[in-house]
Amino acid sequence: MMLMVQDLRVTFLLDGKTGLRAVDGVSFDLAPGTSLGIVGETGAGKTTIARALLGLHPSGCVQGSIRLDGRELVGLSEEAWRAIRWRRIALVPQSVGTALDPVYRVGDQIAEPLRYHLGLSPAEAWGRSLELARRVGLEPRHLRAYPHQLSGGEKQRALLAMALSCAPDVLVLDEPTSGQDMLSRARLLDLLDALRREGGMGLLVISHDLAAVARLTERVAVLYAGQLVEVGPTAEVFQDPRHPYTWGLLHAYSDMSAARDLRGIRGAPPDPANPPPGCRFHPRCTQAIDRCRREEPPLRDIGGRWIACHLGGLQTLLRAEGLRKTFSVDGGEPEERVEAVREATLDIREGEVVALVGETGSGKTTLGQMLVGLLPPDGGRVVLEGRELTAARGKERRAMMSRIQLIPQDPFDAVSPRLTVAEMVREPLDIQGIGTPEEREAKVRQALRTVGLPASPDFLARRAHELSGGQLQRVVLARALVLEPKLIVADEPVSMLDPSEQARVINLLKEIQTERGLALLLISHDLALVRKIADRILVMHRGQIVEEGPGNRIVTRPEHEHTRMLLEAAPRLG
Amino acid sequence: MRRLGGEVWFGLILLALCSAVAVLAPVLAPYDPRAFSGQPLERPSRAHPLGTNDVGQDILSELIYGARVSLTVALAAGAGTVLLGLLVGGMAGYAGGWLDQALMRLVDGMLSLPRLPLLILFATFLGSGLPQTIAVISFLFWPTTARVVRAQVQSVRQRGYVRMARQFGASHLYVFLRHILPAIGPLIAYGLVTSAGQAVAMEAGLAFLGLGDPLVQSWGLMMRFALNLPGLFLTDRWLWWLLPPALCITLLILALALIGIGLERNLNPRLARRWR
Repeated sequence: MMLMVQDLRVTFLLDGKTGLRAVDGVSFDLAPGTSLGIVGETGAGKTTIARALLGLHPSGCVQGSIRLDGRELVGLSEEAWRAIRWRRIALVPQSVGTALDPVYRVGDQIAEPLRYHLGLSPAEAWGRSLELARRVGLEPRHLRAYPHQLSGGEKQRALLAMALSCAPDVLVLDEPTSGQDMLSRARLLDLLDALRREGGMGLLVISHDLAAVARLTERVAVLYAGQLVEVGPTAEVFQDPRHPYTWGLLHAYSDMSAARDLRGIRGAPPDPANPPPGCRFHPRCTQAIDRCRREEPPLRDIGGRWIACHLGGLQTLLRAEGLRKTFSVDGGEPEERVEAVREATLDIREGEVVALVGETGSGKTTLGQMLVGLLPPDGGRVVLEGRELTAARGKERRAMMSRIQLIPQDPFDAVSPRLTVAEMVREPLDIQGIGTPEEREAKVRQALRTVGLPASPDFLARRAHELSGGQLQRVVLARALVLEPKLIVADEPVSMLDPSEQARVINLLKEIQTERGLALLLISHDLALVRKIADRILVMHRGQIVEEGPGNRIVTRPEHEHTRMLLEAAPRLG
Repeated sequence: MRRLGGEVWFGLILLALCSAVAVLAPVLAPYDPRAFSGQPLERPSRAHPLGTNDVGQDILSELIYGARVSLTVALAAGAGTVLLGLLVGGMAGYAGGWLDQALMRLVDGMLSLPRLPLLILFATFLGSGLPQTIAVISFLFWPTTARVVRAQVQSVRQRGYVRMARQFGASHLYVFLRHILPAIGPLIAYGLVTSAGQAVAMEAGLAFLGLGDPLVQSWGLMMRFALNLPGLFLTDRWLWWLLPPALCITLLILALALIGIGLERNLNPRLARRWR
């Protein structure tokens, strides 16, 4: 093992007293000829790690252990570090603009470490510089230029040539692609990939550019607020993220292959000077439990993936196994039975937007009603947060029902014509017996504001027939939200509305979903609509789920014939 | 609210009048109806506007107090009928399945029984007190209400907002009381009025047949005593002894029927239009 980092902690002193721990207990290793990516949001501590590996922090800031071929680097003198920088560990820094000295020619700057570290003569050093320049795709004229005469991409290459000059064992790339246009970025990635394939060197890529990391690394470590939350093979982690943060990060990443709109992770990263207790991700996590608020989760091996989560990673919120429902015409013969749902099995994970798509009569609504417990299935079971919904009775059922809510297709049917808006929205709270009457009123008003409705006394006193379809659907949404559910099943929630109102309600639903961190099962016949917001799409045909996959895959490369038919039938303008 | 037709107003006024008479009976009646306030079989006079009966009791006073009996029976038996009908019809309609089947077969059975003979049979066995009369009428008339209630509950139960309440974790009792009952409220009012009318007729019939409480002077009993007098129709005595109670019964039943018609008319377009 070439580079071993263990329990690395970097603390900066603010105003001389308070410590700001930018990196807190990070461990990883890097063997020769392998590559590791470190990804995370801005401020997660990525660059701090890079600088620690080069001994660039003031002594005393860095604790823990960094070993290079068994030799401890933490606590080395500046003298000793100088022998390691460039020769053993080299860095391509993030800010290319300031990394080069504006008063020296680029070629001289590349030659400098060769002369200084390897003791080459000026002529030999210049010769090697030319060779290095060619290797990174620069021409001799670039070497004679001053930094300000080079473009950003050329400067980046010059810095890369400098880093490669002493043939280091470990090359650290800090945001190698930032600030570059897509074409120079692609060329740089090709170059780096070629360098990686030459082998021998350990490559550490620190970036928020997930595509670059996917291209350049074999393994990836996800950094959040100075701690690693997930480590595993890059392809696997990106394909099947297991930590809620990794999942959110990947979904926030804009990717040419995704059809849906961008989604953010709710909330903001914590203030590094004052991180939250327990798991640092818990305020933004949709599945946080009490323990997450108290205890810091260790990074542990869960089925071949290293994950720092008390719950072992992203949880399955709702699981349906082999659901069946047959409707018989009253007194009819067995052959008159309609098999609405046949053996439907599906999973919905925390915070996920899943779309259930199919034509009319495919059993979507029946399946949705079984999932929320409105319709007892003939066979199979529904498991909500590890408890069987289909078997729950009495108090247990009541408690489970507050976790999962349905938004039906027809808002006019979904509210009582006798109740006022206030009574409608308050009803779930009344049933669940939550809070005092005043608290309920407050919750009702808040829910109405969330869905963009007025909470005025006049509006609260209105009845269903005094509202428009869009308003009523928002009231139904507000009613579903007052219980703060974990999962909302929305059955064609906008099909009765006009197109502009459809867009508004869908965007609202999506916004609330992200903000509240709830999971959403969107039942619809409209692939064009759901692909905008769905992370995953399930296609239903004749009572069975015939295809399942990431939204973009279903839309771009459908496998089942029925999916293709649905796609072809989707509306197109022009 | 909704517009009420003229005949409904007429019915309401009649009913209100009858109720006022019943409530104010002690003030309005010139005599205690049980007191022998005159000679037997007096003709109408200033002292006895409708004369006296065969034992010398004031007929007008009897008539006025009789309103109390009829209204009591109407209200109690009407309520009893509706309550039983609501219970059975509501359960059958809400629960569905085998319970529905069982209860509805019971209702069919009850409806196929001849009512009057059964009424006589029960009245004979249970004795002839007013409470027994009320119980017997309620028992015989609930199946009709149960049927109508069941049909309506079945349809309301399928409404989205009723099913959604279950989704919020509501108990069946909550759903029934909060959503189903208000939805079938107009139907209950209609049921109450029509069964009340039937109850008045039944009570009068029972009393007339001598199966009522002989001590409770209802209009039916008055008619019975009048008709018991040999040769009633030989004189014009029936005009003030038999006709007034018969007229009172008719008017009360008419009043209830008119109100019922009005309610039904209000009920049907709503079922068709607003309840979809």
